[in-house]
Amino acid sequence: MNALADYAAAELPVAAEVAAAHTATLHSIAEPGAWWSGADGLAIARETRAAAGQHDSEDVLPPIAVEAIHRIRNDSGRLTRRWFDDLIDMGLQPEAYVELASVVASVVIIDTFAQGVGLPLPPLPEAVAGAPSFERSDDVVDAGAYLPLARKGRAHILRSLGLVPSASQLFFRTFNPSYYMRPNQEFALTRAQVELLASRVSAVNECFY
Amino acid sequence: MALVTGTAAGDGNVAHGGYLAKLAEAVARWRWDDVAALRTVGVERMSAAQVRDAILVAAGFNGITRIADAIGIRLDTRTEQASTALRTETGIDGFAPERKWAAV
Repeated sequence: MNALADYAAAELPVAAEVAAAHTATLHSIAEPGAWWSGADGLAIARETRAAAGQHDSEDVLPPIAVEAIHRIRNDSGRLTRRWFDDLIDMGLQPEAYVELASVVASVVIIDTFAQGVGLPLPPLPEAVAGAPSFERSDDVVDAGAYLPLARKGRAHILRSLGLVPSASQLFFRTFNPSYYMRPNQEFALTRAQVELLASRVSAVNECFY
Repeated sequence: MALVTGTAAGDGNVAHGGYLAKLAEAVARWRWDDVAALRTVGVERMSAAQVRDAILVAAGFNGITRIADAIGIRLDTRTEQASTALRTETGIDGFAPERKWAAV
């Protein structure tokens, strides 16, 4: 697997585990997903960068998908049920929305980290041909969110993408190195420092969770 | 906890708390010139590994907050119980007005 997220040139030492997780995510985005093709996944990634002014916007995706990408990337703290319902009413499949959100948020993590350590954005791979699997889970439950959550799981955030299990796997593979997602996870920071960072980012993003 | 909301200076009883709060904000707002300057300061005050991990955590939460808001999840009992004091002191619940979930 080509190491797309190559952090060797960073002035800060980056663990191989982080580079491997981010690289795996970028390759997965380029492969046929559950509700989007590999080419679509890459278009979502590029549009996420376009929303950041770091890539030219392309006329590839449906306008409602572009709207969702830009709002999730740039104004997530003000997303509402009404906005979500409008997207669905205009034809965006809920499952496609889940996968789109997973790709956007994963790209946000990778691009934020790369630039944070002083590196350019990682390149995107070539698309892998193939059709989406149209996978969805029926093991979901209404928990008051815009979409049903996975029935099982410790916290709502861990169940949030459960309607499309592969989308959940994609996002949490990207996120996991950034928090205490496994028992032996260690940081060069204290727990209090990690929680302060997490809380400050949540506040900046106007996220209550 | 005022460090979390950006309304106070100092370290807030967390080692290098003031610095970390500034770094977290700069990363979350994608202010790369500020981040570059803070990286230099941080490596001098703390360590390269600590600064790296701070950016890693901030980057991760820059993504997961978007998932929480995009899916419109509500607070679960476990998370609510674990963060009651934090939520009370920071007023972070103000970011979850009921209209966020209103269908009309």
